[in-house]
Amino acid sequence: MNNYLDLSILELHTLLKEGKVTPLQLVLEAFDRIENEKDLNAFITLNKEEALKEAKALEGKEVDNPLFGIPIAVKDNILTNDLRTTCASKILENFIPIYDATVVQKLKEKHMIIVGKTNMDEFAMGSTSRTSYFGAPKNPWNKTKITGGSSGGSAATIAARLVPLALGTDTGGSIRQPASYCGLVGMKPTYGRVSRYGLVAFGSSLDQIGPMTRNVMENALLLNVIQGQDDHDLTSSYHELEDYTRLIGKDIKGMKVGLPNYFMSDIVDSSIKQKIEDLVALLETHGVTVERMDIDYIENAVTLYQIIAMGEASSNLARFDGVRYGYRAENPENVEDLYLRTREEGFGDEVKRRIMVGSYLLSGENAKIYYDKALSIRDDMKKSFEKAFEKYDFIIGPTTCSVAYDLSESTDDPMRSFLDDVLVIPVNMAGLPGLNLPIGFNDEHMPIGLHIIGRAFDEARMYQFASYLEQTLKLELDPKGVK
Amino acid sequence: MDYKTTVGIEIHCELKTNSKMFSHGANGYGATANSNITEIDLGYPGSLPVLNKGAILLALRAALVLNCTINKRMHFDRKNYFYPDLPKGYQITQARTPIGVHGYVEIEVNGVPKKIGIHDIHIEEDTAKSAHSATSSLLDFNRAGVPLIEIVTEPDMNSPEEAMAYVEKLRELLLYADISDCKIEEGSMRCDVNVSVSKTETLGTRAEIKNIGSISNVGLAIQKEVEHQIEVYEQGGTIQEETRRFDEKAGKTVLMRVKETGNDYRYFPEPDIPFFELTDEDMEMVQKTIPVLPNERRKFYKEKGISEINQNKLIQNRDLSDYLLTAPEELNYVVTSNILLGDVLAYLNKTRKKIEETHLSMEKLTKVVQMLDEGKLTNKILKEILEDLLETDDAIDEVIKKHGITQMNDTDSLMTVVKQVINANPESVSDYRNGKDRALKYLMGQIMKETKGGANPALVNQLLVEELTK
Repeated sequence: MNNYLDLSILELHTLLKEGKVTPLQLVLEAFDRIENEKDLNAFITLNKEEALKEAKALEGKEVDNPLFGIPIAVKDNILTNDLRTTCASKILENFIPIYDATVVQKLKEKHMIIVGKTNMDEFAMGSTSRTSYFGAPKNPWNKTKITGGSSGGSAATIAARLVPLALGTDTGGSIRQPASYCGLVGMKPTYGRVSRYGLVAFGSSLDQIGPMTRNVMENALLLNVIQGQDDHDLTSSYHELEDYTRLIGKDIKGMKVGLPNYFMSDIVDSSIKQKIEDLVALLETHGVTVERMDIDYIENAVTLYQIIAMGEASSNLARFDGVRYGYRAENPENVEDLYLRTREEGFGDEVKRRIMVGSYLLSGENAKIYYDKALSIRDDMKKSFEKAFEKYDFIIGPTTCSVAYDLSESTDDPMRSFLDDVLVIPVNMAGLPGLNLPIGFNDEHMPIGLHIIGRAFDEARMYQFASYLEQTLKLELDPKGVK
Repeated sequence: MDYKTTVGIEIHCELKTNSKMFSHGANGYGATANSNITEIDLGYPGSLPVLNKGAILLALRAALVLNCTINKRMHFDRKNYFYPDLPKGYQITQARTPIGVHGYVEIEVNGVPKKIGIHDIHIEEDTAKSAHSATSSLLDFNRAGVPLIEIVTEPDMNSPEEAMAYVEKLRELLLYADISDCKIEEGSMRCDVNVSVSKTETLGTRAEIKNIGSISNVGLAIQKEVEHQIEVYEQGGTIQEETRRFDEKAGKTVLMRVKETGNDYRYFPEPDIPFFELTDEDMEMVQKTIPVLPNERRKFYKEKGISEINQNKLIQNRDLSDYLLTAPEELNYVVTSNILLGDVLAYLNKTRKKIEETHLSMEKLTKVVQMLDEGKLTNKILKEILEDLLETDDAIDEVIKKHGITQMNDTDSLMTVVKQVINANPESVSDYRNGKDRALKYLMGQIMKETKGGANPALVNQLLVEELTK
């Protein structure tokens, strides 16, 4: 058995071009790996038959781009034509989409091969992937630990090196936080950089699809593919297309970075703070200035998030009513009974909780008291970020307050889930790009991540910065390599 | 009876667009059920709305026609509620930034003019259409997402007649401005009426009568509802805020449901659609394409001396009204409108043609009217040759000739006929000389008969009188 999938994508690209390996070999190897690591529960649906067919069809075709023939995993809230898309919910357990999300279309145009749909929190609501109707995925670094979430399946897939690339989605940290817990590179691009068409909406003004990968270069390569304005998504940006790899390898000397005091406060574990301190020292030896500073309103981000994301979610999930698609309660007595029982039986607890809270927050006068107020503070927070970026190239901090914790830890505290994301949520609120870069491990060898926040549409320089650190730190990020 | 009636009206109109408000699905009435649908119209997971700018510009036109102040920077809002005909579980509408506000429509009842205030006009999407049987319901999503405007009046109407006049006037305006086809029977125009009565200055509790099926029923429903409310009050009862419908057969309004306090639609700004801004060019362009509206036409007709009956007939016949707009200023409009609304309209109705599908160019018609004015043509001849004028490009003279009518304008040959007729009717001649005017008409008729109506009547009259008074 070859281990092609341990090679970098650029190495694979050369081999594919030279005909030394075929897409079919890569796909077969991917499915072997997935089979061997079945207990990770990283996938909800595998696309084996179709993937093999596509791989065979690629034989003899010109290898026209770096991602040609590369297997990829797609989070299960992104629609794939003819391939079951469940959002990890019973209500969509048997839902077969009739169209491809725009990003999926883009993957297919580049002849990438979708191996399957990854596990996640139900409707991306959660921070541990334990709200999945299909059971939680496991952390490849320690299978008794959570992957984080909501893109936990995609994170596990990349960490375990099942395939080199995955798509995640990030409404309040759902790419970056599991990337931190599982030790991989995850980018939430600027809001509007990637089309949301075909992404099952959770918090429409926050949702963004992004790449989850083993390293920075491959992350940039995948963002190259999925970026771009889309006529189907009015919130997608006309910002010009970029090659995100173009600054990778360049020096970062002279850059100026802000480290908000809030990100180093008592909410963060000391082992993580220590790693950040170490990194700050390292940056300084490489000619980067790091300053402690404050960003107004970031401590309010979770509150704003709960109001805005849940308000939007309560409306976005209204369409799951059993009338046109998805789960339908049996023998309803009347329309109201159909609605009530379909949604009662089809949704899990966390989803119901958020729909109820969201409905309450938008109800009557509350819309003004909470939602309008939240939007206005959100604007203020955005402005305080803009102000910070007048002075700094990036804002950095830890991605999470702790490392991945035990799968068995209680799920009773609904607030816990938001605290897991307290450091990453401000980025969604401000619509900015945020990236997780693994920077080390704690005593139990669980990954610790650095959170890099950039200016809007400054992803290329974030990759430059992250890649420089990656090359300097040279961490072993394959769990197999450690054991 | 000292109760004062107060009426406010909400009207939904489907906009005449090719595609839907928030998708590229086709907008067409009468297509096979569920054939004009996209994933957006079905509220499919992952789908997002697009924006139909054409529909926004049509709504802008409506707002301008209704004399509204325009919100140039607007956004959309979600109105959340559950119903099987509402695929997304919310309707995209405009709650906070309606495209137009503070407008008015001018009506007239029994010669009394009145301005009915328009509170606002906003853009929204239509729902699917449901058909219910005893055991099941069927849904047709063709209508889901069709662009609508909702026009909400102030409570400015005080009688069934005013309400009917308003709906009629609004319909006329929207039709003339090509905004909607306003077919109440097909549901492209839907009418909800709010009615209350009160003995004091404070408005009474209102009932909403939903989806009234015709303009005359608007009047009838209001009348019946007013009677119902007064009866309740007179018996010492109170009116609850409720939704009713008009039962045409029973001739009364019936309760549908009592409105719960504070209908909670959980409005919030639609996050999938960014702010939309109308440019000055948009405004100018739309302003320019608004056709001449009925009131202006009526004013013009009046100036030209057209009778009120003919004014109304012209407004009702948009084609002919548009056609008449192309007439030269100095034309005799009274004669022209008589011709158009008489034999021409009869012909058009009979052949189901539009005036522009005939060969009667405005140039030709202008000439016809001139010839009538100058006495070179009689109404009788016109009647005979009209069909040829409508169906061929032949010149008027040729057509007349073709019908074997000789236009007799030369005095000599006419005089021959005049003398001939005088000689043949000595009694009439002596009657005339004894002061009986009718005799002259009889003699005229005889001359016209002899000339197959070809004689110039003015000339004949002149010659005849000359001859008789010799």
